Amino acid sequence: MLSFLLRRLGYLIFVVWGVGFAAFFISHIVPADPAAAALGSNARPAQIEAYRHKYGLDLPAYQQYLRYMVDLFRGDLGNSLRTQRPILSDLKDFFPATFELTLGAMVFAVLFGLPFGVIAALYQDRPLDLIVRTLALVGGATPVYWLAILALELFHSRLGWLPGPGELNPYLIEPHRITGMMVVDAALAGEWQVFWSALRHLIMPAAVLGAFSTALLARMVRSAMLEVLSQDYVRTARAKGLAGRVVTFKHALRNAALPVLTVMGSLLGSLLTGAVLTETIFSWPGIGSYATSSAIGLDFPAVMGVTLVAGLAYSLINLLVDVLYAVFDPRITYA
Amino acid sequence: MARFRIAWVVLVSLAAGLLTFGSAQSAQQQTLVIGGDWTDLITLDPGVAYEFSSTPIDDNIYQRLVQFDGTDLSKVVPGLASSWDIASTADGGTTITFHLKDAKFSTGRPVTAQDVVWSFDRVIQINGPSAFLFTDVAGMKVGSTKALDDKTVQLTLPKGVNPQIILNMLTFNIGGVMDATEVQKHIDGNDYGQKWLNDHSAGSGPYMLDRWDRGSQVVLTANPEYPNPPSIKRVILRYMQESNAQRAAITSGEIDVAYNFTPDAFNQAATDPNLKTIKTDSFRMQYLGMNSGPGAPFADNRVRDAVRYAIDQQGIINDLLGGLGRPMQTIIPYGLMGADTTQYYTYDLEKAKQLMAEAGKSGGMTVEFLVATGACGGGVPCADLAAKIQSDLAKIGITTNIKQTTSAQLYTIYRQQAAQLVLAEWSPDYPDPNGNASPLADYNAKSLAWRNVWNDAEGTKLATEAATSTDPAQRKALYAQLTKYVAQNGPYAILYQPYVPIVTTAKVQGFARSAQGDVDYAAISKLP
Repeated sequence: MLSFLLRRLGYLIFVVWGVGFAAFFISHIVPADPAAAALGSNARPAQIEAYRHKYGLDLPAYQQYLRYMVDLFRGDLGNSLRTQRPILSDLKDFFPATFELTLGAMVFAVLFGLPFGVIAALYQDRPLDLIVRTLALVGGATPVYWLAILALELFHSRLGWLPGPGELNPYLIEPHRITGMMVVDAALAGEWQVFWSALRHLIMPAAVLGAFSTALLARMVRSAMLEVLSQDYVRTARAKGLAGRVVTFKHALRNAALPVLTVMGSLLGSLLTGAVLTETIFSWPGIGSYATSSAIGLDFPAVMGVTLVAGLAYSLINLLVDVLYAVFDPRITYA
Repeated sequence: MARFRIAWVVLVSLAAGLLTFGSAQSAQQQTLVIGGDWTDLITLDPGVAYEFSSTPIDDNIYQRLVQFDGTDLSKVVPGLASSWDIASTADGGTTITFHLKDAKFSTGRPVTAQDVVWSFDRVIQINGPSAFLFTDVAGMKVGSTKALDDKTVQLTLPKGVNPQIILNMLTFNIGGVMDATEVQKHIDGNDYGQKWLNDHSAGSGPYMLDRWDRGSQVVLTANPEYPNPPSIKRVILRYMQESNAQRAAITSGEIDVAYNFTPDAFNQAATDPNLKTIKTDSFRMQYLGMNSGPGAPFADNRVRDAVRYAIDQQGIINDLLGGLGRPMQTIIPYGLMGADTTQYYTYDLEKAKQLMAEAGKSGGMTVEFLVATGACGGGVPCADLAAKIQSDLAKIGITTNIKQTTSAQLYTIYRQQAAQLVLAEWSPDYPDPNGNASPLADYNAKSLAWRNVWNDAEGTKLATEAATSTDPAQRKALYAQLTKYVAQNGPYAILYQPYVPIVTTAKVQGFARSAQGDVDYAAISKLP
């Protein structure tokens, strides 16, 4: 197991390097000048020249790349052209909000996707199954930005059940920043009014972001369960006279967990990317909003930073899924 | 007895609940929440900030020597300086001597002439994006600003620099005075305190920077040292890029003011009794830039004239902007000294076709049409505006191939003089007619006239004369000549001057936004 882990972590370096390399050169092929973006439409040629020189943008691409890599190995992601701050501190500011939102979406997906899948499998081809399958189809096919606007209009503007965009009611004072996740920080500080408001603000964006994952999860759980339910050992368990509940949850669901786990891993990765749209619409101060404004502002170092972090997160999640395989299925061992 | 005790507890907690409810109420009343797209914010350091969103915030934190009279941008009134004298120097330049009032920074220290000198010199030393206003436009150097005594500052300007223009310029955040002693305490290496000023402030205005959670909110609190305490104690600028999000948040009362309504949503809000809609002025202008260089598609002024006749200005304003714009055809817009609101062109397709024929283009022509993604002036999507122009120009035989790019990409191409036809927006760097006249008419200013390759001796001459003239009447007369000349010969078809649509809840009182974007938060109050 240990050698497996070390080998995988070794691959990780190459994956992240590849992602960074691609991001760097794609961003340098774009026929637009970061100086133009940073200085605005009225800037004069002399100002632009000075700016390009100051940030080394007038150097050939390979030299810029070398500079970047040298700094990267020192653990320095560079400074953002737009916020003028170290990218690392920008990421530290923005990442927790995304993590919180993604986690919320995951919780939502598991909370609804799992039972829906089980129900659909148990009631195969009956009305309940049909309802779940239709919902899963709609949930999987609905673009997240459209769903976001719709949900905001319905649950916030029309019905008033949930609060609007943002992380917190603006009239409340934010808790002292510990983890950067509003709900967690409020709980740690024991400020329950803030906690409640933050939690309520989290529900809608998390549900919208998690809708696709919920749908996919429900379908995966359903098919995995159906497969397991037709296995001999399930029939044996039933024949032994075990209660239906025990068979479903202890024998079938546990064995159906493996394919579901794989999907959840890749879902977590896709949630990070889905956050770009959700965060923009819900004014969520996360890495997605940061990536959007950095990309629009041609802030290359920031875009690079986000790409690297996303690549790293994605790889780590995949590694974690592989490790969990072994935990859930004793037949799998890594050498 | 037990029952009585329970009743007592219930009563006390009810009262406590009411009390907290009451204080929450007044906290709401003293807090103003503004929802808008503040993603262009880079810094709130007044010596460096040069973004649309930063200027209005800085103006509430840092006082300048002079300021405009509320939303009237034609009148400069005392700020930190109670009065000033302008005198000529022996070498043909001028001095402006400012006499400072008694004022205090939020740190409790008094505002002195030394603070002014330090703040101005710092701008030049940092040489940020706005520094050219001091170095190029005002011809200032380190040492141009001198403290004659604790309460008197003298600014020396070289020959050819018009002190009236400089006074207008000093109302901008670049003229913001900061507490030199405080900022110097927090200098890190060679950064002139820039890093510290990202999350702190050291000004004498009615507010100070409390916190800035990037991507989430900027929070200002009332400055306890400010002589007239404002009714709003806390101003929160919440990042909300989406106009839908803003609409949702203002309807539910989570924000008090919304900045980015689309024309449709704005007109709908006008019918809602809980909301107020305000069409605020702006100096922006939406225009078509036509490449007029030798051999370029619009080299012949008759073709440019044809375009100006073929554009259906009124149709654009009524149908696309829902009334959120005014017709404008010259380079000096409503609100600036020398504004020329004459309509030199009326929508006339016959005339336009005839001009095309005279220019030998009766067979039509095809050009590439550069358009930015996102919203154009007045909140209309640039793509919609471009489609309307495309159909207008098609009627006179000009085929436009729309190429939509991000605005950064658009300006990269435009700056290389490589655009054939471009849909763009302009607003002056400082509220003086020269802020438009020089970049738009003088090729040597390397700005818009240059980008459109319009090298015109008459335009350059008139712009330069008007910039250096110190006689207001003569300046005005020169600008009248210039605006007419550029309207009829320049490389532009100016489309309209947009309003900036602002929506507030009915509770918000006294909200006013100047054409420059400034909002005096201290003048605002909220009904319970």
